[in-house]
Amino acid sequence: MFYPLAGKLIPWFAIPAALLFATGLFVGFFIAPTDFQQGDAYRIIFIHVPAAWMGMFLYVLMAIYAGIGWAFNARLSSMMASSLAITGAMFTAISLITGAFWGKPTWGTWWVWDARMTSTLILLFLYIGFISLQAAIDDARRADRAGAVLALVGVINVPIIYFSVQWWNTLHQGATIRLLQKPTIRGSMLAALLIMLAACWLYSVAVVLIRLRCIILEREQNASRFAEVGV
Amino acid sequence: MNWPDLSMGGYGFYVWGSYIASLIFFVWEVVSLRQRKRALAQQQQQQSSKPVSTPVLRGSINETTS
Repeated sequence: MFYPLAGKLIPWFAIPAALLFATGLFVGFFIAPTDFQQGDAYRIIFIHVPAAWMGMFLYVLMAIYAGIGWAFNARLSSMMASSLAITGAMFTAISLITGAFWGKPTWGTWWVWDARMTSTLILLFLYIGFISLQAAIDDARRADRAGAVLALVGVINVPIIYFSVQWWNTLHQGATIRLLQKPTIRGSMLAALLIMLAACWLYSVAVVLIRLRCIILEREQNASRFAEVGV
Repeated sequence: MNWPDLSMGGYGFYVWGSYIASLIFFVWEVVSLRQRKRALAQQQQQQSSKPVSTPVLRGSINETTS
């Protein structure tokens, strides 16, 4: 029932995602002015910040789905968590790599063991741990439960990443955009950043749905293969 | 609209490097998903072309598992 619906929804996310990526990059490179402090190096922000946000959002989402799948024995929810993990890990990796490319010209170093970067690296390890733990367990439902425990325990890391720039003296700059205050950024820069964020969201929904459909089919095939052998 | 300076005021390596690295990740994810889909479709074709197991066997399995 869910499977064909997801199939119909995918293009409605994939095509706007592509259009928004193009628009966001256009605004980011052609309209947004050069930053007077960081020069053009700041333009890394348009991929770095959306990727970092997606890495955190998708982790929380993954933990919620994994938790629901565990608590209510909802298979589809657990499969959703498995599907989210890879895209989340990918965005976290992008945020770390683009961060290194930004750190080198502005701080003079690719990497420091600063609170925000270290906690983001731990986020990547949590994703990798979740993916490999699930891959190591043959029984799908047991893999789901084990993954759910890891995902839920690891959620504590997300607020640590978010508040790390306030709690500790870090090299990483503080938040530019806050919920209750006016952002300290030019309008066109903010527009490019938000368009890129929307593009990343739509992209994530599309690839997560495609992967979810694969996971559903794979598990069905495994089940029918076991049935044929008579296990 | 103003044309961006491709050298990014001397930061070209870092700016383009980070965008190219990101692009590689996106392309990798999309390509690997496409391969996963294709492999699944092939498996399904193979399964459907195989002779369907006899209803007698099916019945016995259902009895033992249920």
